[in-house]
Amino acid sequence: MFEIGLSEEQRLIQDTARRFAAERLAPRCREHERRRGLDEGLIEEFARLGLSTRDLGAPGGPGALAHALVLEELGATDAGAALALDPAGLAAHLAIESGSEMLARAVGGAGRRVAAVVDAAERFTTGGRRVSGTTDWVPADRLDAVLILQPRRALWVSERIDLEPVRPCGLEAAGASALRLSAAPVAGRVDDPEAVARALGRIRLHVAALLVGVARAARDYATRYAMERTAFGRPIAHHQALAFLLTDLTTAVDAARLAVWRAASAADRGGAAWECACAFAEAAEQALFVGPNAVQVLGGHGFMKDHPVEKYMRDVRTLAQLAGGRDEAELAVAERVVDREIGLR
Amino acid sequence: MITFEIGAEAGAQLERARELGRRYLRPLGIEADRKREPVPPEHPFFLLAWQQGIGQPIGVEEPRAAGGPRTAARRGVLLAEEMSYWDRGMSVALPGLGLGGPPLLSMGTPEQKERFLAPFRDTTRPHWAAFGMTEPGAGSDVAGIQTSAVRDGDAWILNGAKTFISNSMRAEWIVVWATIDKSLGRAGHRAFIVERGTPGLEDLRYEHKMGLIAYESSSFTLRDCRVPALHLLGGEAHYAGRAGFKGAMKSFNATRPAIAVMAIGIARAAYDAARDFARQHYRLDRPIPRYQRYREKLARMARKIEVGRLLCWRAAWLADAEQPNEVEASMAKAFCPQIAQEATSLAVEILGDAGVASEHYVEKLYRDVKAMDIVEGTGQIQRIVMARRLVGLPH
Repeated sequence: MFEIGLSEEQRLIQDTARRFAAERLAPRCREHERRRGLDEGLIEEFARLGLSTRDLGAPGGPGALAHALVLEELGATDAGAALALDPAGLAAHLAIESGSEMLARAVGGAGRRVAAVVDAAERFTTGGRRVSGTTDWVPADRLDAVLILQPRRALWVSERIDLEPVRPCGLEAAGASALRLSAAPVAGRVDDPEAVARALGRIRLHVAALLVGVARAARDYATRYAMERTAFGRPIAHHQALAFLLTDLTTAVDAARLAVWRAASAADRGGAAWECACAFAEAAEQALFVGPNAVQVLGGHGFMKDHPVEKYMRDVRTLAQLAGGRDEAELAVAERVVDREIGLR
Repeated sequence: MITFEIGAEAGAQLERARELGRRYLRPLGIEADRKREPVPPEHPFFLLAWQQGIGQPIGVEEPRAAGGPRTAARRGVLLAEEMSYWDRGMSVALPGLGLGGPPLLSMGTPEQKERFLAPFRDTTRPHWAAFGMTEPGAGSDVAGIQTSAVRDGDAWILNGAKTFISNSMRAEWIVVWATIDKSLGRAGHRAFIVERGTPGLEDLRYEHKMGLIAYESSSFTLRDCRVPALHLLGGEAHYAGRAGFKGAMKSFNATRPAIAVMAIGIARAAYDAARDFARQHYRLDRPIPRYQRYREKLARMARKIEVGRLLCWRAAWLADAEQPNEVEASMAKAFCPQIAQEATSLAVEILGDAGVASEHYVEKLYRDVKAMDIVEGTGQIQRIVMARRLVGLPH
């Protein structure tokens, strides 16, 4: 029979991530944003906790669900920092899913920075073992390699990576650049479409879990504020228009989290590309409802940098563009829906 | 631990429900909808169902193995979704304790349980029970019920009117909520078991509905209806403090996830109907913009149905784990009917002109599902319940 409670091990992992986020990330959140980066020491410290994609997703490791718990905790503090803390974290999913040792080495070295670009439209073109193309945004200021995931294959480069800094809407702690590859030599490739599809699923799940974290933080902050702020003689949370909005924000966070847990649980049993695309679509939709409404609850204060909700609103918008964004996820759901049985099995 | 596997035992139970649904619930539900009247209690199907031991999916006391985990709430939501998938109206029409079960089982004295469960052990013909809270002037505001109860020697005299009560015309007994003193508000509430044929239980009549026609929604009047004092549910002691109203609320909390998931069952039926229609009538693999829209609609339906189900499952899992689930149950009940309304509406759109023609199933589902956002606490009441817990919204 189904059960929806965390195991002891999962709780322990969640607590570790929560403590790290509260003690090491939260106090320096705005500083990381301004500096567009984290201290190397902090990244090393995080690596020692064993909470990266490589550690949690490795065969026989704690798995996708434990990873989702970690990402929610980090996302609830600073999603940009969460990306920076595991700077090859998205790309590492393909190394795990394909079993490619070459790719494992490319993403595996200490502090290696590897972007994962989901190129559904195949805008990056190859010729003579070289790849060319551009993308206007990757969440990084410095990269050792770029992994490009296309519908049926993936390839990576580690030279001739041209980055031009840009100002992003959110996730500043991760950095942000426009990426140009001009006949960059292909360092390696994965031609197993199923492994690429599985990895794309895991990458979507990764981002979805971060979205749940940011949405949770936005909901929590807005709720606390609404209990303290008074208008017309009572806490604004006690005006029904806002009370109902706050309940809907709570539902949104829980719905997104359950979709992520469900997909993670399926991913831990293999496959699950459809569930992961669903989780991304759901988390994006719900987080994009929560982020702007959390600002709304704070009114004018919400628009100011004195409160974090403006950052949450920007971060959810930015996060939901990763991994091909919401449209690609929804298309992936739609593509297979006609064959989909959604009955009880 | 987290697992979304339902297991072999529940799977086998669902298979039986599926068979029942395919053979009886769906065809009878459609027939009742066309005839515009509920399936009568003497219909042979009810006897057949009863003799197979099939009752309603909720409200049945679970035989609990010593030390084993409780699974009643989870089995309840699985079964409720499956039955509702085939026909929600018929699943309510099935004989059994229905919503009368939880208050009797949770509040009743041993003697009361013995007496009022007795008819349900008779296998020669089907039996129903009913739950009467709603009044013409008190729906969501259950604290505002007007039906009065006045003590008279060894009996209570009930006066008032109840409306939209499921299966009350065919019920062996009805749990009737009344107030001993309106000025006491909820503290004045009492639940009585009123047996069929009690003098003063009058004017039983069908209400005519937009959907869910297969089961009977009826109204009745209580006119100097004399009920033995022993039929006060739980006895006098139960009503010390505010237990009376809380008794009613407790029964709601136990059933909310199962009611919420019924909306998912209806939405799933709409999804299947729309998907099958699309497969048959459209070439969805062709790059035609209209077809891409249909795919997107189906995708949204499928995604929301799965998420809504998860909210119900969590609330049921908490109930089985005997953890507080008030917020989670209300969340499921607020969320699922809304997404189910959207899903049935999208199904009508996917069918195009055929969607509104009664020959096709989806327009019935569109009418049926609306009730799910109203019964057992409207979506708005669920938000009030949640807001009280989450932000201390004053009463």
